[in-house]
Amino acid sequence: MAEHTLEIALAVGVLTPLFSFWALVFFGPKLGKPAAGWFGVVFGMGVPLACATYVLFGWLGAMEAGESAALTANAWRGTWAVLGDVPITIGVKLDSLTVAMYFMVTFIAFWIFFFSVGYMQGHSDEVAGQRKYWRFFAYLSLFGFSMLGLVVSSNLVFLFIFWELVGLCSYLLIGFYFDKPVPQHAQMKAFITNRVGDFGFLIGLMLVYFHLGTTDLDEAAAVFAQQAAAGTGIFASHFTMFGWSLATIMGVGLFCGAMGKSAQFPLHVWLPDAMAGPTPVSALIHAATMVAAGVYLVARVFRLMTPDALMFVSLIGCLTLTLMALIAVVQTDIKKCLAYSTLSQLGYMIFGLGSGAWIAALFHLITHAFFKAMMFLGSGQVIEGCHHEQDMRKMGGLWKKMPVTCITFLVGVLAIAGTGIPGTQIGLGGFFSKDEILAVSYARAFEWDDASKFEESGHGEGHGGEHADVSPPTKRVMLASDPVQHGDDHAQPTHAVLEAESHGAVGAASIFAYTPKLPKWMFYLALFTAYITPFYMMRAWWLTFMGKPRDDHVYEHAHESPMMYIPLAVLAVGTVFASYSLFRPLIADASIVGSAAPLVMAMAGDSHSHAPAIHVAHDFLKVGVGGAFLVGFLLAIAIYRNGLGLGEKLKRAFGPIHTLLDNKYYIDELYDLVFVKGFVLIANIARFVDTWIVDLLVNLFAAAAERFAAFCGLILDTHGVDGIVNGVAKSSRDFGHVVRLPQTGRVRHYVLAATGVATIVFLCVLWASREASDVALAAVSASLGN
Amino acid sequence: MISSHILSWIVFLPAIGGLICLVAPKKQIKTIAVLASLATMLLSLTLFSTFLGGADDPTEVFGQSYGKLHHVERATWIELPGELKIEYFLGIDGLGFPLFVLTTVVSFLACLASWNFETWKVNKGIRAYFILFLLLETGMLGVFVSLDFFLFYIFWEVMLLPMYFLIGVWGGARKEYAAIKFFLFTLGGSVLMLVALVAMYFYSGAAIDQAGGSVASGYLSGSGTALTHGTFDLIELATNPTIQSYFSAVSTTFLGIKFAPIMFIFLFVGFAIKLPCVPVHTWLPDAHVEAPTPISMILAGVLLKMGGYGFLRLCYPIFPSGGQYWAFTLAMIGLVSILYGGFCALAQSDFKKLVAYSSVSHMGYVLLGIAVMTTAGFQGAMFQMIAHGISSPMCFFLVGVIYDRAHHREINRFGGLWLTMPKYGTLATIGFFASLGLPGLCGFIGEVWVVLGTFQAGSNPEMPWAYAMAVIAAAAVILTAGYILWLIRRVYLGTEREEYKGFSDTSSREMFILVPLAVLCIAMGIFPMQTVFNFTNGTLDLMLTMMNNGIVSVAM
Repeated sequence: MAEHTLEIALAVGVLTPLFSFWALVFFGPKLGKPAAGWFGVVFGMGVPLACATYVLFGWLGAMEAGESAALTANAWRGTWAVLGDVPITIGVKLDSLTVAMYFMVTFIAFWIFFFSVGYMQGHSDEVAGQRKYWRFFAYLSLFGFSMLGLVVSSNLVFLFIFWELVGLCSYLLIGFYFDKPVPQHAQMKAFITNRVGDFGFLIGLMLVYFHLGTTDLDEAAAVFAQQAAAGTGIFASHFTMFGWSLATIMGVGLFCGAMGKSAQFPLHVWLPDAMAGPTPVSALIHAATMVAAGVYLVARVFRLMTPDALMFVSLIGCLTLTLMALIAVVQTDIKKCLAYSTLSQLGYMIFGLGSGAWIAALFHLITHAFFKAMMFLGSGQVIEGCHHEQDMRKMGGLWKKMPVTCITFLVGVLAIAGTGIPGTQIGLGGFFSKDEILAVSYARAFEWDDASKFEESGHGEGHGGEHADVSPPTKRVMLASDPVQHGDDHAQPTHAVLEAESHGAVGAASIFAYTPKLPKWMFYLALFTAYITPFYMMRAWWLTFMGKPRDDHVYEHAHESPMMYIPLAVLAVGTVFASYSLFRPLIADASIVGSAAPLVMAMAGDSHSHAPAIHVAHDFLKVGVGGAFLVGFLLAIAIYRNGLGLGEKLKRAFGPIHTLLDNKYYIDELYDLVFVKGFVLIANIARFVDTWIVDLLVNLFAAAAERFAAFCGLILDTHGVDGIVNGVAKSSRDFGHVVRLPQTGRVRHYVLAATGVATIVFLCVLWASREASDVALAAVSASLGN
Repeated sequence: MISSHILSWIVFLPAIGGLICLVAPKKQIKTIAVLASLATMLLSLTLFSTFLGGADDPTEVFGQSYGKLHHVERATWIELPGELKIEYFLGIDGLGFPLFVLTTVVSFLACLASWNFETWKVNKGIRAYFILFLLLETGMLGVFVSLDFFLFYIFWEVMLLPMYFLIGVWGGARKEYAAIKFFLFTLGGSVLMLVALVAMYFYSGAAIDQAGGSVASGYLSGSGTALTHGTFDLIELATNPTIQSYFSAVSTTFLGIKFAPIMFIFLFVGFAIKLPCVPVHTWLPDAHVEAPTPISMILAGVLLKMGGYGFLRLCYPIFPSGGQYWAFTLAMIGLVSILYGGFCALAQSDFKKLVAYSSVSHMGYVLLGIAVMTTAGFQGAMFQMIAHGISSPMCFFLVGVIYDRAHHREINRFGGLWLTMPKYGTLATIGFFASLGLPGLCGFIGEVWVVLGTFQAGSNPEMPWAYAMAVIAAAAVILTAGYILWLIRRVYLGTEREEYKGFSDTSSREMFILVPLAVLCIAMGIFPMQTVFNFTNGTLDLMLTMMNNGIVSVAM
């Protein structure tokens, strides 16, 4: 294969949506409906999908031929700008993770674009007289550009740039119906909440830039590993905050960005509101791709994370997945229910990454993208079919009217619940990914200290041999569960720098000698949520499609159209497909990226397996996790079998808890009080100070100068007593109006007087205070650590 | 003839246009003014040819030494033999070049923005308006290329008076107040600068006397040029080792205070007022609110940059130890400006005032970046100046567009303008997002470079506070997003309002002004090297190296 072919194909796929965007901006209005949409489908996502497919096969071929590592290592890099002395490079990050993400994004996005062509025809003219149909596809194309750019970025600065651009697209698309107040509020909230996360990202970036001296992802990881081993650079700092070292703060900072974009607690508040956007946007941006960017980021910077930082990641993920799942249980709006379920699933991914289940987390990202996009489109179909009704309490029995939607939605429900037969390879989506996350976290929580169990681990032998003497703790934490593949996986030649640094040096690094145990409660919460998830998903499905119709008007109107259900069917097949082949090996191959990270190295056993199954050899887990879906399903069906009756009773029985959940723990109210009102208050104080203190001082000073000038002028010009009286009266009248018309000719006086006085005062102050200031400044500089 | 005196031609072309306006028939005045500013712009763009064609890397063109100037014009202007020599000394380097070109571009667009003069509230005196406008342009251009302090000072003052009248005569309701406030503030700074001017001349003379009465030139080494008395040559003052060591010597005092820190402050005050930074910013909101749209564009786009340019041209290279000495104070002022300006902007209900306060906030980044004296900080500050020079005229013009139609600027009375005027709404989004610092647009680079540069300074044992400042400055991006998005929401989003339904979308003249600015916003965001850094970095890097070598720790 010619050099750089794959990179060029990826770049072409990134740039065509940009072309599509500009073309639609200029010619969109002329294209009209639905031509603008088809244009968007073809150029906005069709071409990228073709590129992605080409790259996918090219890459798989290269992998087979054993050339993939060389391709990654030899990828082109150009200098975009020089930051201080550090060049910011631009280039395509070509590895298995990129290829997998790129294909996933283009594939899902293509079908969502396709869906939108039909869907938006009825949803884009809400504003009187405005043709916004083309604008929707222009924004979607821009999103395609930004998202794909994010996926292929090889440099943290570029990652950040595209990161903000997807945020912009999200802002524009949430506010697509910007004439209504709710989307307006939601779009602003989304952008600003994301900015809070970006603030952390920027701090992380500062530390990377300054301490690692490069912002290239691979180089940064290599330097990080070196510094960890040698105890130099960022590891030489004794600075701590909240008990975190500087290296940990760097990781946490970068993770803050992910918290914003992937809507992790406590920055999750924007995502449910973002459902005010059109449904395809919810499916594409706020379920499948953009919100997953945070997870992708964490996966990318995984090698820059210290164990403490990863512990923080776990904590946030764990809180998110539990708290959001509980809210999902009480939601009645079909889109909001899906939104909270998305939050919870993102929490799982983040939790998985924090626990070290790198492969499982990313695998979950991809399967989740498929089925969640499908479910959102399904909900769009339902909402469209039901006269824009989103309340599940008014639906019911829709399966007769919308069979395809019903079945595809069910596939999604089964996948998210982790349905499968424990102990076998038969299952869907979450059965492999989520359960593996749980298995790894179980191992982290319960078996971490149990040294005897892992002493003889195959992987530990394979690698530990040479540096077991250096670093006993590393060896101690090896997991026994999957001793087979790992040797080969790592034996493959990979990015030269990384290989050299990672395996020997990092393991020995003192900073990683202590990798804390995962608190048990985190595992229990994650396990508990594994039971909640099937419950609320089945509840949503049952309330919508099963039972008796609860609102005749809605039921009468319900229908589905092929334009919209074709994508549903495709994505449903995709869900099944994604659960089995293609992505798993790709991610497993990409784990070489994650493997340089100390945690994964340490526990290489479990998370590095190729086979999609639970490997932890504990019957308790097999049944406890694998069977969770059944319990949840049955419970939901039992409660909602006969409509809302029993549900209402339970709601009353759990009154206060229900109120708390229904109000989302009052977090929105709290933020509004503390941040929004707080900021506005400070702003008003600032304005007050500016108008009434700073300005008043200036005016008073000027007025005094004017008085002084008038006085001098009168004395010198010997206007006499009359003149003094008049002059003073006039000056009093003018008090506060510092100035008159320039034509009055008095300007000269003011100018001379004011500047004269200013200079004199200034000089006097300096003269008088020079001794005092010597002392004061010496004290200040001494206190600053001179 | 033109090519050998190209800088003079560019600087005085607007003034020549002004002279023609003086005698031209009234109907032709607008056309002449626009043509004059257009010609100036085109001529200044030919300066780019310096960087084209040859194998020269642009960085190299300006980069080989601090004194490496281009298009130098040098002549003795006022001379008292043996005592005083004031030169007509023009030249361009990486510091002045981007700002010089920015000035011609913004002036041209602002001139075009004045095209609807007849429809203004005060529409008398078209001749005076355009003459003053062109005179102002000459003053501004002169500041960026004059390298003799005396000449610099003259251009500095030349620029002041037209501005005063442009605000005071053609402004809004409180125009006199605003104009005189602007005038007094600026003049206050000028007075201190004048003190510094005189002091620097005599002290450089003293340095030479001390060294035996004749000293070889610092940057024209090998040319045989010798200094026998004091000098106004800004490059000489910065590069001559004799003068430098005398200036920074502990024993050199002025009014009993160490020379370098006090001179630094004298110069700094004048530039800080222009920048402006808190607490001497209060002239800015008033001046902006009252000034007519094109004047606001010039004010925000070019005049504010003179503050930053002054720091980089005078304060730091000549008194590096002063910069070191005051680093904490200056960085603090910058940081306070960022936050204070941001909060004030958040609280405004006047559209134009909001943009004005956002300028205070953005210029705070310039001061912060310069104050920490790191490479990235300097680069970021420079970029921020150029970026703000593009985005803020755009924002002010956007305000002007709607003011021309609605005749008010109350943010809360607007709404749904994106629906009423789709083209305008789209361009406004670009402009305000550039101001917000969205990556891919110009505002981003400067902010990030400054923040990173500030952080880098934290490793300097004398600046441990820089870490905290970098973090706070980074947090300010949330504040910026807050006020800009809230503004967009109140003005552009929402349902269409009855009262604005009949508004026409942007006219082709308005498009002609907005589109180039929007294109520049995007281009600078995507190609920071090609648009700015390639021209500035060489000079900035060398300046820093030179300063770091020259810094002698002074205790006051």
